[in-house]
Amino acid sequence: MLEGFIKWFKSLFGKKKTVSLGLYGSPNTGKTTLANKISLDWLGEPVGTVSEVPHETREVTKKEKILIESDGKKLDMNLLDMPGIASKVDYRDFVTFGMTPKEAKNRAKEATKGIIEAIKWLEHVDAALVVMDASEDPYTQVNLTILGNLEAKRIPVILVANKVDRKDAKPNRIREAFPQYSIVEVSALTGHNMDSLYDTITTKLG
Amino acid sequence: MTLQIEFISSVALKPLDEQGKRNYILRSVKKNKIVVLDGMLTPEEEKNLIQETMKSIDGQFPGIEISTLGKNEDDLRVKLIRLLGGTIGGMTVIGPSKLVKEIKKDPNRLNLLANAGD
Repeated sequence: MLEGFIKWFKSLFGKKKTVSLGLYGSPNTGKTTLANKISLDWLGEPVGTVSEVPHETREVTKKEKILIESDGKKLDMNLLDMPGIASKVDYRDFVTFGMTPKEAKNRAKEATKGIIEAIKWLEHVDAALVVMDASEDPYTQVNLTILGNLEAKRIPVILVANKVDRKDAKPNRIREAFPQYSIVEVSALTGHNMDSLYDTITTKLG
Repeated sequence: MTLQIEFISSVALKPLDEQGKRNYILRSVKKNKIVVLDGMLTPEEEKNLIQETMKSIDGQFPGIEISTLGKNEDDLRVKLIRLLGGTIGGMTVIGPSKLVKEIKKDPNRLNLLANAGD
């Protein structure tokens, strides 16, 4: 409650010049693909590596001083690509991707640390893009926990329905599950509708 | 494998602080029990439970499946009841992920898929 009051009090004196924007979501929702797309569009360089293997991002990756502009509105931001949050990490899942048990156990250990780090950051970002895979069921406890915690800290949220290029994408499920949020449908992979995302970011957070 | 489900009333957890509640849940889940709590965890309690779970993960314990059912936290009445120390009903289901494969959720229903065959 005190933090909420401090945030409100600070807001009376104008918005921060640089916004820390965290990318949150479950593993494999395309957070790093989205972070790369944003960074490539505005800085010309990527943020991190992308993989089909879950928990490829195992530590918070930061890209600073990204200035985005849309329809005359500007926003200076630091982009934070977070490890995907999950309530389980089974090293056996990595073995199925061809890793040795030893490699898989190491990766699982790093993944658990990454999840802890991402959760710690939940109360330190100024705003969040919560990224969901539009081809998956959005009504998961991880999504609810992320949104519930951001909401409790009054951190502005934009939902990103990613992977709409997939044939089985059903972004409407996200709209039905979370009608109270701003939702932008994109494909970070193809760049579809990124302009609309930039417009929503600069309008809501700028 | 025998499937054991532990139903816990809100009265049983009332004397425990948040950490005590978390430890109790994780102890039971690590014993391969599916825990059904009378009441909802707050988003902060869920977040802390996930963090604590991550610290406990090893080759034998790959984590938990968790789902809550009940009134949304952004409901003003719910916030007021919580602020006054009251309970708001609902339930929370937590199980070991090596046993509970999935908890499918819609706003008013939970479907738990468990694998008790190993």
